[in-house]
Amino acid sequence: MDSDGGVDRVFAALGDPGRRSLVEAVAKRGTATATELAAERPITRQAVAKQLSALAEAGLLRATRSGRETRYEVTPAPLEDAVEWMVSVGAAWDERLAALRRSLAQGKSRSTRQPPDESRS
Amino acid sequence: MEVEREIVVPETPDEVWEALTVPERLEEWFATEVELDASPDGDAVFRWGDGDERRAVVRELEEEERLVLDWDDGGSVVVELEPADGGTRVRVVESSPDFGTALELRALGPVWTATAA
Repeated sequence: MDSDGGVDRVFAALGDPGRRSLVEAVAKRGTATATELAAERPITRQAVAKQLSALAEAGLLRATRSGRETRYEVTPAPLEDAVEWMVSVGAAWDERLAALRRSLAQGKSRSTRQPPDESRS
Repeated sequence: MEVEREIVVPETPDEVWEALTVPERLEEWFATEVELDASPDGDAVFRWGDGDERRAVVRELEEEERLVLDWDDGGSVVVELEPADGGTRVRVVESSPDFGTALELRALGPVWTATAA
């Protein structure tokens, strides 16, 4: 899957609570600039701009130039990849482990015990 | 990124170990067709009915305790066994390829909700 490197960067980018809260703020507004986001938090515009650019590099935000400013919007696709991987791999293991449980129960009944759910006379 | 699952089965660790390492037993629960050299650096091939095939190498093997497979397309699976009350605890951790920075799944919560809305 060529999305895995991207997923990895997404998780690294989201490892920081400040950056997570920026993604949330951008998602809430639809689009936002560093100036707008800095106005509502106790950090400088430069610091916000740096974080936004890191998030855009990780593929979480899309940047578009708007006059002298850069506007950002959320691109949820990389997160969908991550969640999809977890869901599909998790579901595969749920099935396999249920099958393992059945296989073990049968193995035991074959070798040492009477089958628990079959009556033989 | 990791997916983790855990079950407790009534069988003993050596019975579970057999189901993990004997190809014929693996064919009962893991894949349709299994080739496995259950020793360190041993090769494994798993085939499924839908034509899927995955190859792996045994990276670690501690009898009745721990089996680690590295998929050749990236990522790995760790299976650990531990005696538990009334049986054996089976813990599986599958790691995605190129997994670098761990992030708690719950950390995704707020962002995921926000972007999905």
